[in-house]
Amino acid sequence: MAISVKLDRVLLDRGMSLTELSERVGVTIANLSILKTSKAKAIRFSTLEAICKELDCQPGDLLFYEDDAAD
Amino acid sequence: MRAIGKRSLASILAMGLHFVRIIIWIGFVGLSIAMVMVPFAVGITGWLSGFENLDINGSVDVSGGDYLEIAHMFVTFAVMLFVVNRLLEILKTLRFGSPFVMDNADRFRGVGYALIIGEGAKFVFAFLGLIFDADLEVDIEPITWIAIIAVFVLSEVFREGARMKEEQDLTV
Repeated sequence: MAISVKLDRVLLDRGMSLTELSERVGVTIANLSILKTSKAKAIRFSTLEAICKELDCQPGDLLFYEDDAAD
Repeated sequence: MRAIGKRSLASILAMGLHFVRIIIWIGFVGLSIAMVMVPFAVGITGWLSGFENLDINGSVDVSGGDYLEIAHMFVTFAVMLFVVNRLLEILKTLRFGSPFVMDNADRFRGVGYALIIGEGAKFVFAFLGLIFDADLEVDIEPITWIAIIAVFVLSEVFREGARMKEEQDLTV
């Protein structure tokens, strides 16, 4: 998929585990794993807002666009 | 009463279809026996007429048309069995899970193709019946073709439903 999520990198920078983030934002670990592995088809603004708030980051820090054709 | 889920109308329908499947298998066994017995029909009738207590009148005339009729019934039963099996698989997802899966779209499509094969076979057997002078009762019903189109439309509805469900499941 052209949009990838760099959640693991931001989590590493903040020294936070996926489980901790899950508890803080109220999203299941399963759903966060879907997000982390870039398998998600869509992300709700409310989820993005909660993650950005807890990780103190911007949406742009989490989402990256890569051209599929370049692969 | 609920339409889908456990102990629902879908469960009753599944029970009915299980019964139909047993009837079809009995039909298959009967046809297989008939297929083997038809060549011996003349001999058996002659042998039975030798018994004093049995009153057997008339003669048995076995022609290629009889085999054609059995073959036609074999194809019809095979199509029925395929359709019933696919419907049972679909009903299983209605009772124990989510109906909107890609497999169900493929199953409906399979049912559509099976019905086309069944209807196509009718034409073939009707034509062969004319050649072999067989007394085949072949009814070409427009409602069946409307049902085939409906099944293909339904297949695409399920495909779209499965796509939407996948998107919903993968929305975080």
